Amino acid sequence: MSGITSASFLARRAAQRERVRILYRRALRDTLNWAVHRHLFYPDADALRERFEANRKVEDIETIDRLIADGEASYNKWRHPDPYIVPWAPGGSKFNRNPVPPEGIEIVYDYGKEEAELV
Amino acid sequence: MASALRSAILRHIRVPATQVVSANGSRLTAVRLMSSHDDHITKDEVINRVLDVVKCFPKVDPSKVTPEVHFEKDLGLDSLDTVEIVMALEEEFKLEIPDKEAVRIESCEQAIEYVYNHPMSS
Repeated sequence: MSGITSASFLARRAAQRERVRILYRRALRDTLNWAVHRHLFYPDADALRERFEANRKVEDIETIDRLIADGEASYNKWRHPDPYIVPWAPGGSKFNRNPVPPEGIEIVYDYGKEEAELV
Repeated sequence: MASALRSAILRHIRVPATQVVSANGSRLTAVRLMSSHDDHITKDEVINRVLDVVKCFPKVDPSKVTPEVHFEKDLGLDSLDTVEIVMALEEEFKLEIPDKEAVRIESCEQAIEYVYNHPMSS
């Protein structure tokens, strides 16, 4: 019985660990989006890290869940409306700019001038 | 014909190899091309640039960094530092790594493998 509970406890802790890492990742990315210049980003990033470090020693699993939920709510509230997206990624400025034509489609380069060649 | 001409020219022309010294003193032999039309980056370049990024991280001792090093076990970083390193790598190689995959990158070896196999890394 205790084996099962400890296994489920560990699984839950691992899930929390991953949630925290993803939350920190997104929040850090968002901090960079909000910062107009890079030298403004560094203190903001340090402040963000401080907010995570403040709860580093929390052991109670329910408290951790609540803290993560609070953090995610706060992230969603302050999310940047127009984030930076790498150009080729979906939503980026170069996404699907020059897609490869589908199979079987041929580009006619002399479109409209076919007649002229016959004459 | 073209290849014969090329080799004939190359035999007579000597271009001095340029050496780039990066911020922390390690030497890169190749000049980095900024065009998006160049070929995919080589494994050596990936390794060099990944190691440079990791060495530049403030909490890392640069002498300990090798291509096989594990961020948490060998360099004594924690999981949030790993997140920061992965973000620095994304900026270095102009990538956007999905969250679930980024979380799985935990060592230099995995980072090099991921970046090298990514079609858009440059």
